[in-house]
Amino acid sequence: MIKSRNLKFKYTSFNPEDNSKTEFQALNGINIDIHAGEFIAILGHNGSGKSTLAKHMNAIFVPSEGDLFVDSLNTKDENNIWDIRQKSGMVFQNPDNQIIATIVEEDIAFGPENLGIPKDEIKKRIDYALNSVEMSDYRKAVPSFLSGGQKQRIAIAGIIAMKPKYIILDEPTAMLDPIGRRDVINTIEKLNKEEGITIVLITHFMEEAIRADRVIVMDKGQVVLDDIPKKVFSQVEYLKNLGLDVPQVTELSYNLNKLGINISTDIISIDEMVEAICQLK
Amino acid sequence: MNFNISIGQYYPINSYLHDLDPRTKLLGSFSFIVLLFFINSILGYIVSAIFLAIVIKLSNVPLKFMLKGLRALMGIIIFTVLLNMLFVRGENVIFSIWKINISWEGIIMALRMAVRLIMLLMMSSILTLTTTPMQLTEGIEYCLKPFKKIGIPSHEIAMMMTIALRFIPTLMEEADKIMKAQKARGADFETGNLLSRIKNLVPILIPLFVSAFRRADELAMAMEARCYRGDINRTRLKELEFSKNDFICMICLLIFAIVIIYIRFILK
Repeated sequence: MIKSRNLKFKYTSFNPEDNSKTEFQALNGINIDIHAGEFIAILGHNGSGKSTLAKHMNAIFVPSEGDLFVDSLNTKDENNIWDIRQKSGMVFQNPDNQIIATIVEEDIAFGPENLGIPKDEIKKRIDYALNSVEMSDYRKAVPSFLSGGQKQRIAIAGIIAMKPKYIILDEPTAMLDPIGRRDVINTIEKLNKEEGITIVLITHFMEEAIRADRVIVMDKGQVVLDDIPKKVFSQVEYLKNLGLDVPQVTELSYNLNKLGINISTDIISIDEMVEAICQLK
Repeated sequence: MNFNISIGQYYPINSYLHDLDPRTKLLGSFSFIVLLFFINSILGYIVSAIFLAIVIKLSNVPLKFMLKGLRALMGIIIFTVLLNMLFVRGENVIFSIWKINISWEGIIMALRMAVRLIMLLMMSSILTLTTTPMQLTEGIEYCLKPFKKIGIPSHEIAMMMTIALRFIPTLMEEADKIMKAQKARGADFETGNLLSRIKNLVPILIPLFVSAFRRADELAMAMEARCYRGDINRTRLKELEFSKNDFICMICLLIFAIVIIYIRFILK
């Protein structure tokens, strides 16, 4: 379980022109609980602190105030850092900047090598990791020749090879084309459903968020909504005020309702919409 | 602009050379290069050309691909040739302008240098074409290990090299993109004299450097997120291991070295 208690984080930026320091409160009292096996989506406007929160879960950032625990290990304790990083793997936005080696299998081996895992076990983990992202044919491939979506799946495989309990993905699809995005999201969902890995997905695509078990919405460094997707997205007006979108069908049902058509407002998928419209008289 | 440098790039196929231990390949290409400078007769050049030809054949890398990489370095070769031709003093002057004499000896010297340089470049590109950067750096790391005692950080040097090689294609792609973006806004890279062309490159280099630093920052974060902490308690996917083929290779290399030294010091 990942839990944060009154987590606060300040950035200090230095202005060389007048030697002044400006502080920016990126996170302001976050209390969340992420249980094992969950699929969580974190939504938020630019600068809402969602990326900063993600980096706390991997002990890249350490709280200025409050605590964050990964399986009861406090990220503030330096002795825990490597355990925490093994337990909660992190995938970043740009696949090019996370791939270290020039051959796929060597890159996937990088994490396990750092953990000091014996050679034969590393080989098994490479097989397992490539298999779980459906990239087994690319074992000897050169990453720079792969597409963005494939590179991102290799980056995910590199994390899976470390056998983490949690995978935190910081906008993994932001730089991908629609096909790459679909493949990556399907992979993430499969890892959650079949391998039981807890997923924390930071995103600003609503179609991705509706597939989660729970959606956390952040604004100005605070958690403002934390509920199942249906409940979160039914608050169309509130989300729009935060500068967020809602899934197209949710917006449609909201507008239909406004026009006086009696249709449920917690529709989040196209199938549900079709069902609901067919029920109308 | 077409950046096509095969030096530093790995050519992913299977071959006899690909399977050798990186240390064998490092030692082999290094001693080949050293031996090249011992040669002073045609026979020596023929022997080393045959040796090089066999190595190229064993590498399975198409010769065309290798030559394409060489073309990018043509400038250095031409420069050396010109320098030798113009400044080597000899008896048999063919013609002279002002204070510069072009002599028969100068031309011979220039040709020798060119052949030497081409062979040197080909051998070093074979090394990188058949060895993944990871293996190469592991080999280098191993060779530098004795110097660790005097404070040379062999693991760190090796890791830096891996990353540098890994990012060559990425940064080239980026340079190309920046260039296109600048061209779209009316920048001119193709006309003007050398000086103004170099000046025109500044608006490419600045964004390229900025983005390289940003990438470095993100990469460092990604590496730490994957538990990288230097050479502490690290294992290797591929342990370096000498096989039978490595010994055969070493013996061939030794024979080659003896032949070259024989030609140089005893035959003459």
